Amino acid sequence: MRILLIMVLSLLGCSGSIDEPVSYFNVETPRPFGYVNGDEIPQRIIIETRSGISLQPGSLPAKGQINRWLNLNRVTVKQSGQRYQIDLLYQVFYAPLEVKSLTLPGFTVQLSQGEKSIGQSIPAWTFTLSPLRELVVRQSEQGEYMRPDSPPPLLANTQALYGLAASLSIAVLIAAYLGYLYGCYPNMPRRTVFKRALRKLAGLSKADMEQALTLVHQALNSLNGQPLFSNQLGDFYRRNPQYLQINAQLAWFFNYSNRYFFSDGMTVVAQDLQQLKELCEQCRKIERGSR
Amino acid sequence: MNIDTQLTDWREQALQFEQQINQTVIGLQPAVRNIILAVFARGHVLLEGNVGVGKTTLLRAVAQGLGGDYQRIEGTIDLMPADLIYYTYLNEQGRPCVDPGPLLKHGDTLATFFFNEINRARPQVHALLLRAMAERSINAFNRDYHFPHIQVFADRNRVEKEETFELPAAAKDRFMMEINIDMPRGDTELDELMFNPRFHDTDQLVAGVASTGIYYRLNELAQTLQQRIQTSPKLHAYALSLWKATHQPQQYGVQLTDVEMPQLLMAGASPRGMSYLIRAAKTRAWLEHRDHVLPEDLQAVFPVCMTHRLFLNPMVAYRKEQLLPELIKGILDQVAAP
Repeated sequence: MRILLIMVLSLLGCSGSIDEPVSYFNVETPRPFGYVNGDEIPQRIIIETRSGISLQPGSLPAKGQINRWLNLNRVTVKQSGQRYQIDLLYQVFYAPLEVKSLTLPGFTVQLSQGEKSIGQSIPAWTFTLSPLRELVVRQSEQGEYMRPDSPPPLLANTQALYGLAASLSIAVLIAAYLGYLYGCYPNMPRRTVFKRALRKLAGLSKADMEQALTLVHQALNSLNGQPLFSNQLGDFYRRNPQYLQINAQLAWFFNYSNRYFFSDGMTVVAQDLQQLKELCEQCRKIERGSR
Repeated sequence: MNIDTQLTDWREQALQFEQQINQTVIGLQPAVRNIILAVFARGHVLLEGNVGVGKTTLLRAVAQGLGGDYQRIEGTIDLMPADLIYYTYLNEQGRPCVDPGPLLKHGDTLATFFFNEINRARPQVHALLLRAMAERSINAFNRDYHFPHIQVFADRNRVEKEETFELPAAAKDRFMMEINIDMPRGDTELDELMFNPRFHDTDQLVAGVASTGIYYRLNELAQTLQQRIQTSPKLHAYALSLWKATHQPQQYGVQLTDVEMPQLLMAGASPRGMSYLIRAAKTRAWLEHRDHVLPEDLQAVFPVCMTHRLFLNPMVAYRKEQLLPELIKGILDQVAAP
């Protein structure tokens, strides 16, 4: 008789658990304290149901503003078999003046089986919120009352700067070369005309008079931009007035060159070459701007 | 007499002659200088200019000053070659007669032949003149007539183009120079020309030029002069460069505005043109008291000797008044002498 009673009781105990629609239910929450304005609070709800019973996603709270100070930022539901994992992420916008106890509101999740539905209530959860600002009366007035956050550290950009500098200098060089090809610096080679002529002239002797005269002619031609003849000296001086001061020497040069090249019976003496070199040096001085 | 002193004497006469012409026809010094050069280099001259600027007066004065037998003819559209050679008429007895025309009238002493308004004459006349100018002879009445002293002066005005015949290239090439006559620029000269009665009667003005009588010795002088004046190898090279530049100016860096340089020229200077250029340059060197030719001599006569010898491509020929002087200046500016 006693054995029979135990069996009946144990059967009764078993039957109760078998009929429950929710076999496992748990709400996992983080610490209930230490929050400040703007913090996010995750909440995880795990529900395991009997087979045939499913969760109604419409019964979950909707994303968005829940009340004046609480936002629901994210709702995710993961289902694996009869196990539902609901992740809610709340954010608090409440600026308390002192430590305040607040409550995430509870709600009811609907589970349905066929046309029947059962509610599973999620309990409210209470936590404390601390003020962000220093609200005590300060003993001393020293120090800053409110401080900004420390600025974020800058990303290292030295590499990029080096790259920029390198590409800019290459661009400038290319532009300069392009300008040279387009002939944008007509005056540049003219500044060294007599320098080059003098260098070549230095190695010549009396016997190379023809070459020497040709060199000076070429220098004057390239300075003038076109061949220069003695009858064009007036125009030449108008364009290069600084050469007017050696007019006499230039006249001597053209006269000498005419006699040398175009008439016969001309004897070259060493002094002529010397005079030619002197003329070239004068021109070099004018070219450098020191005369 | 020493040849050099002879040349010096001649030069004095030439300069005096030039001065005399300049007093008769004022304000045309460059043109007068060029004509003197052509006369002493024994080359024919074509004058071009506006109406009434003194082309004819200038030529008449030169002819009068040089002396020698002088003939002139006016170019008209109905002038035929035969009109230059003979003319026919009925004499007092009513008989038909044939007399020599202007070209033959003086026989071999014909000196200055002055062809007025040459571009009004027909190409047939140009053809006859071509031979007379190049070979100094023509064929008429079944025999050749020679004119060893003939010097042709021609003029044409550049204003009118109607009823004119453009001179063929061959005819132009036989002229040593084509000289442009412009109005005198100076105000005093213009004032003189307007108000001085001396310039109103050209016949009297030309008659006032004293004849130097040097004409028939010019051939001999020119020959002596051409042999006497020296040209150096450098000058030969310079002249050669100038010649090549008249054929391919782009190779010497000559660039004209808005022109495809390789397509600019149809023909450059001819060998005859270059020989005329050198003759004129030598004469200039002589007039400048030198016994050798300098590049500046070539440069001085290059425009007058070359402009009428360069033929532009028809594509740009309508701009020749502007392009040819630019081209000549470009060549002279770009070709270096030594």
